[in-house]
Amino acid sequence: MDSLDNTSWDVVITGTGLPQSLLALSLSRSGKQILHIDRNDYYGGDEAALSLSEAEQWVKKHGGDASENADSAYSHATISHSEAQEEGAKKLGFSRAYSLALTPHLIYARSNLLPAVVSSRTHSQLEFQAVGSWFTVTAPPDGSSSQSRLTRVPSGREDVFRDDSLDLRAKRSLMKFLRFVASYDEESEQQRMKQLKSLPLSVALKQHFGLSSATAVAPLLALALPTVSEAETTMEFAVPRIACHLRSIGMFGPGFSAVLPKWGGLAEIAQVACRACAVGGGVYVLGQGVKNATHAEDTGDSKLRLELTGGEKVLAEWLVGCPRDMPSTISTHNMSRAASAEYMTKSISIVSSPLTSLFPPTAEGGVIPAGAVVWVESASSSSRSVRILVHSSESGECPASQCVLYASLRGDPSYLDIAVQHLLESLAERPKPEVLWRMQYRHHAEAEQPRNTTTSENVVTLQPLSTDIVLEDDVLTSAEQAWRKIMGDGAAEFMKFESREGVDEDE
Amino acid sequence: MQSHGIPRVAATTLDKSEQARNKERKQIIQYQALERDVVDRVKAKDYSDTTFQLTSQLLTQNPEYYTIWNYRRLILQHVFARELAADEEPSEQDSAAAEKANLPPAQHEVLLLIKEDLQFLIPLLKQYPKCYWIWNHRSWLLGTATKHLPAHSAVTLWQAELGLVSKMLGLDSRNFHGWGYRREVVLAIERLNSNGDDGEKGSGTGNMVESEFAYTTKMIQSNLSNFSAWHYRSQLIPRLLSSRKADTNTRREFLDAEFELITRALYTDPYDQSLWFYHQYLMATLNPSNAQALPVLDPCGREEHARYLEREIGSVREMLEGAEDCKYIYQALLEYSGLHLEVEGEGGEVALGEMREWLRELRGIDPLREGRWRDLERKMGS
Repeated sequence: MDSLDNTSWDVVITGTGLPQSLLALSLSRSGKQILHIDRNDYYGGDEAALSLSEAEQWVKKHGGDASENADSAYSHATISHSEAQEEGAKKLGFSRAYSLALTPHLIYARSNLLPAVVSSRTHSQLEFQAVGSWFTVTAPPDGSSSQSRLTRVPSGREDVFRDDSLDLRAKRSLMKFLRFVASYDEESEQQRMKQLKSLPLSVALKQHFGLSSATAVAPLLALALPTVSEAETTMEFAVPRIACHLRSIGMFGPGFSAVLPKWGGLAEIAQVACRACAVGGGVYVLGQGVKNATHAEDTGDSKLRLELTGGEKVLAEWLVGCPRDMPSTISTHNMSRAASAEYMTKSISIVSSPLTSLFPPTAEGGVIPAGAVVWVESASSSSRSVRILVHSSESGECPASQCVLYASLRGDPSYLDIAVQHLLESLAERPKPEVLWRMQYRHHAEAEQPRNTTTSENVVTLQPLSTDIVLEDDVLTSAEQAWRKIMGDGAAEFMKFESREGVDEDE
Repeated sequence: MQSHGIPRVAATTLDKSEQARNKERKQIIQYQALERDVVDRVKAKDYSDTTFQLTSQLLTQNPEYYTIWNYRRLILQHVFARELAADEEPSEQDSAAAEKANLPPAQHEVLLLIKEDLQFLIPLLKQYPKCYWIWNHRSWLLGTATKHLPAHSAVTLWQAELGLVSKMLGLDSRNFHGWGYRREVVLAIERLNSNGDDGEKGSGTGNMVESEFAYTTKMIQSNLSNFSAWHYRSQLIPRLLSSRKADTNTRREFLDAEFELITRALYTDPYDQSLWFYHQYLMATLNPSNAQALPVLDPCGREEHARYLEREIGSVREMLEGAEDCKYIYQALLEYSGLHLEVEGEGGEVALGEMREWLRELRGIDPLREGRWRDLERKMGS
């Protein structure tokens, strides 16, 4: 490809993470000249999916502490293999058999992303699998010799009906709470919600819904998936989360509420989005970032002057990206790590068993899910619990007869591994499933950054994904706001395209 | 318009652009020409394959046009009669295929034609799962098969139907066409398997009542609000018990287990009317003066009836806690205590005062049925 030097563009997008790629998709039919670059040599940015060898390289790059990784969302990365195995023992497949997602997210059926994927005609290039069952793992009290216990979370009326661990009264109370949650934002329940919202979930359940037994509270916490401790989880946080789950069940098929994109999660969506933009004329260059930028107001023609990491100088009417990809001359992104004390410790573990007990069919005659959610209870209500997303080989992320466990915990990582072990014990599989390979890293939240600040008229900042594991609607709305700014008054409908001629319309 | 949460696909175009309207005009002209053609041909008794294909075209566009289904059957009848009366020698291929299927060649032809027509119906059924005429035509095809073909052939077709109807019910478990059809299919299979014995008696080896009962359990567990599944279950119970040769104790255990099941369901969701209907059914089996519901218990007299009424009134009373706004609970309490008064007279489980209290609550919750509550009040007063 000819050099980029001295080229001029309508839009330069930096970074190929999900937010930026969604913007690229939304602009793919606009006829605008788009240059989409990424300073990494792979697609997906912070949401990338990595093979084993790519993961090893990534860990080397992000191994240092926060200060060494000031312009990255990740730090403290480490990797470990299990001990050398005897002949015939389970072992890792080849590197490309794996597509490990750095930030696996739960995409609820009612998320605004999915209709956009359909209306933008990219759904036929994506394969979505069901995330079926939710579980809690209760660890045995310290010193006891009993095993950790795995319990399936009832996620709807029929589950509650069938759940033997709930007596009649508990069934009734739980249903009463679920009915409240299902209509918490309607007029009839607004008063009540207002009263209850700052109460911790467990307290509200006990005092107002007659639910105090641990068997009833833990599953509700699991559905809410808080990052803070049980004592700190308020109704205000938990109720909308549980409602999202309840309202999503059955939307795409009985018995499941969320989906995961096959072959690498969000990275796959980002790639498909970028491909669509390329088909629309967008130019893609990896290994380049924006090193420097001059405010448009300072130049003669109100275009931005950008300098790429390779030294090329380009003109752009618009520059869009997430804060960490923006050059310091133009962004107010605070490089100091002190500003973002919040981080999630995350781990990716490859396990030597298909863990079939975690993937029962979603319903009678329903699909076999490829994802499961596990909530590992912490020892006390004041410490945080670990959330584990389990993906089977059907997700395309690992070879058959293995699984990938994505664990996350806010703050101190020491409980992370223990939680994974508790989960594996609780399955009562013989031989006990082993962790063949794991990596661990910190994911730093963005320092407080108001959305779409334009320090220059022509610079648009997109909101990066949160460090949480639930995909928020904000990601798409942030892309829509950026799209509207760039398209101005001539904007048609966001993400609504006709199918291209000659391209098969899959049903 | 939604049906059980499954959106109906609009057949008409909403796009009112001139281009779209022209297109629609052309479609209408084509349709009307096709319709006229078919009607004319049938009037002239033209039962050729061409006419048959034309009915296929017409029915694919409009499966609700039941006259055309009638015409299609006329044609098929004509063809079947001709095949079965055939004097000409069948081809080598046809003979070989017929032998393989263990059928005389003429009947094999009929089987193939029936299978083809069943295939034709499948995409239509998927698109219009609630069209009476499609289910009806299927039924007719299978009935014809049973009439003309030996049992072993016909039963294979019926077994396939069971698979199809299970799949349709999997897609929409509340489609009553599916449930009705399922009963028909089960009856046909039982008849064919019991070598001519009356399948209704259910004591033959072809008896499917156990597996069908298990099927209703499965369907209820995947969706509690299923009027059809609960209804089917209630229909199966008398046969099930006689098939199991259940004695007095077994029958009592069975009934108690059913009450336990429905109570568990009611605690989970007292707002679901289908559950209350089933509870009423169970209670009705105990009522010696109820001719419609076959008794489950044996013996079942006034004593039994009174005991169960007392027990269930107590049980339903407890359901009120936490569900004080559920009208079905009050309705059930009033109905059963009313019955109890008739059976045991006053001074029994429930005082009239308590009944008036329930009626008051009910009137508050369901003011639209004021007339009905007033009637009830009058009855209680007397």
